[in-house]
Amino acid sequence: MTTESPSLSYNLAMDCSPRWKPTGDSTLRIIPAGPKATIDRSKRDFLRAAIALLAGLNLPTTSLAGGGRHGVGGSGQRVVMVIFGGVRRAETFSPQGLVNIPHLSGDLLSQSLFYRDARNEGVTAHFNAVSSILTGNWQRVDDWGKLAPTTPTLFEQFRKGLGAAQSDTWVVASNKALTSLIGASSAMDYGPAYGANVVFPKQLMIAAVVNALRTGRSRNMADREKVQTELQSMLEAGNYEGLGWSVFDGTERLDPRVRDTITEAIATFARGGGPTSGDELTFLVGREVMRKFSPRLLVVILSDVEAAHFGSYAMHLGGIRTGDRLCYQMWQEIQANPDYRDKTTLVILPEFGRDPDGSSTNGFFNHRGDTESTRNTWMMALGTAVDKPRIIERPIRHVDVCASLAALLGCPPMDTQGVRLSELRV
Amino acid sequence: MTRPVHDELPEKLQQALNKGLLKRLPITFQPLTHQQLREWDVLFPYERQSIVRLLLYLADLNEQQFAELFREVVQLEEKMGVRSWQFSTEEQTILNASQLARSRYYQDWRKAVRKVFDAAEQHGESEKSAGAVGNRLILMILPQVLQLEREKVWEKWQGIGRPVRLDLAMSRETQSAAEALLSAGEGGRLLEVMSHRPNASAADTWVLDAGASLVDCALRQTPSGSSAPTALLLSNERLNKLRQNFSREVNTMRKDLADADAVFDRLRKADVTGWCPPEVASVPVIREFLRSLYLSGNGALIFSNSFVEWSASEAFRRARPSFVMAQFGVRSMPKPFTSVAVFENPDEVNPLPAVDDLPGSALDAQMLALYVWLAASRYDEYLRNTVCLCIAESLSEAYVVAPPEFALWHETEPVTLDRLRTTLIRWLA
Repeated sequence: MTTESPSLSYNLAMDCSPRWKPTGDSTLRIIPAGPKATIDRSKRDFLRAAIALLAGLNLPTTSLAGGGRHGVGGSGQRVVMVIFGGVRRAETFSPQGLVNIPHLSGDLLSQSLFYRDARNEGVTAHFNAVSSILTGNWQRVDDWGKLAPTTPTLFEQFRKGLGAAQSDTWVVASNKALTSLIGASSAMDYGPAYGANVVFPKQLMIAAVVNALRTGRSRNMADREKVQTELQSMLEAGNYEGLGWSVFDGTERLDPRVRDTITEAIATFARGGGPTSGDELTFLVGREVMRKFSPRLLVVILSDVEAAHFGSYAMHLGGIRTGDRLCYQMWQEIQANPDYRDKTTLVILPEFGRDPDGSSTNGFFNHRGDTESTRNTWMMALGTAVDKPRIIERPIRHVDVCASLAALLGCPPMDTQGVRLSELRV
Repeated sequence: MTRPVHDELPEKLQQALNKGLLKRLPITFQPLTHQQLREWDVLFPYERQSIVRLLLYLADLNEQQFAELFREVVQLEEKMGVRSWQFSTEEQTILNASQLARSRYYQDWRKAVRKVFDAAEQHGESEKSAGAVGNRLILMILPQVLQLEREKVWEKWQGIGRPVRLDLAMSRETQSAAEALLSAGEGGRLLEVMSHRPNASAADTWVLDAGASLVDCALRQTPSGSSAPTALLLSNERLNKLRQNFSREVNTMRKDLADADAVFDRLRKADVTGWCPPEVASVPVIREFLRSLYLSGNGALIFSNSFVEWSASEAFRRARPSFVMAQFGVRSMPKPFTSVAVFENPDEVNPLPAVDDLPGSALDAQMLALYVWLAASRYDEYLRNTVCLCIAESLSEAYVVAPPEFALWHETEPVTLDRLRTTLIRWLA
């Protein structure tokens, strides 16, 4: 599963270009024309696109010096992970898909450690997929988040192992298929006492819409100022458990710092004049959390792409473009925020792909098939853990992510099905 | 729960059931089988034939053959521990599906089940071909309002067919291309041709409409006073009331599998007749088709183009029609701050006027038209003698996937609507 493919050569003769070959460490160099291509066409197509993008690469761009503040225990490093919902390679890192991800492919790929094959080998449903990434073990619990993951999450390991505070670990998520149980496991000696803060900003928005409708104030949703009031009043109404939130153990009263954080994000969201999708609000809340709490481990989960379930391909692509932009904005925030700059690794990956066109599960609508299109996606890492930007050819598994991030944070080794990714510099 | 053996069931099947065939089935085969037998009256002819073929094939196996056929399924059920689950053997539930899907043996189980169906299919192959019908036609329309890019519109079809130029000049002045094709011309009307086929059944002809104009046109052609329908007519617009009532119920669902099953159970039992337009209310099999279509998701309750695509896919799977005519349409842009509440009626949630999303609708329709063809091409019946023709009105062009003997396959000159209609009528006749 983890073999490199140093001998692969990619025939670009059709493009009248010289042939390229990745060296043993998977950096790309020009080599003389060689024998016939030995990889399948889809890989070759992708690599054509990737090579074109990497042509203008300035290597390396990351600083070796961490330069960051070291918290209580651990490496002093920070991790921000953006999980993207279900997107196929066809609509992202393929020659035809690059148009949907101008920032990931144009601004970030050239600085990144890019895992070309990142596989979800577990249940390709949202709660199980995300909890598998966060625990390093394939989870097979209730799809709708009624049961916590059965093995410790990265949050618990980080907090228990290193004495990190709850304010140091956050999940900010759009997806309604998740619940607050995503923040901590049911494992013995772990659990909510060591869990992350979990907020679902989009649920706040849905609740505000539904409440405005129920109370005959739906006209307010046409006026940005009044939208802000509606969101704010929903925030102050309590019932955070009903919204699926779990923040500093408060179910009825919100910690004032959290309330201020969300208020700030709502104001930007409602009155900023920008896009108004759920992922937009999720991003703004995540960014405010970074500014106010400066967590060492932040997971942001986007889901606008899931409009695919309703059959709108255009809205699905719109969700990909939004996610692409928000990932870039997150990277910009990391660069601009002194608490994060030069001491943060940003990891971006989809939960899974989607079913292939022509499948009995209705193609891009769903993510139920046992196919490459559904299971095989990609992962990108940027920042301090990246020694040298490059493309990694060997397949990795989603459960490998947790062990790797645990190592970056300086956590004690975790008992996981996944293995640490050696390319990420600890 | 399974109702007593029906009079309507074929005698041989009845006998097999009386001998306890259902009890011998592996536990995971029981929900679908029980459900189909219970719903026998509202199954399409093709579905009835399929279940009869499967069950009679199983009934003819001796003990050893039966055990061998299901050996893998039974072993996997044991490994999965299905008997310890809260697993309904009477009907397919969300809870059932969820438990199966998160088992580590789920994919193996699916493959094992597929093998059983394949074996039954192979056994019934000779029977199927004996009853084979004539040519088939899948006719899709991307209406004028959808602006398409000539260079990209057929890109995703990957060269499986070819574009043919159309001369739509006449239709633009009077009616849409779709309506013109349905109207009378040399050789009669498309829908009439289908009704004159031997053993014609309404389930053999489907008209699917994102709006209402196409179905309205078909309804105008239906002879007044005729008792039996000659085609199944589904208009997303005419189904507004049914859709809204379904959406309302679905919205009451809490995030809980048991609650989802309870809501679905309510919707399965609700009398929907009063919510349906006459052409649906009067045909139980299509009424029940819509009920299960809406319960199976895939956007059919939300977007008109998804409704068209998913209806066509389910029609191919369940009824194997010979003629499907499908017209796509336009959806609105998501309203600000409400895109998340996609289940809600956007006009109720936000008073801002709805704005058509023409580029988005065009992209959706292009993809979903391809999906209609891909859905059909999963079945052997559509791999031979089938013409798929997708008309892009705004480009005066159609994409044609057809066998070489189809009259327009080699056409290089623009084809008038009259000629197109005549060619299609001849193909179906």
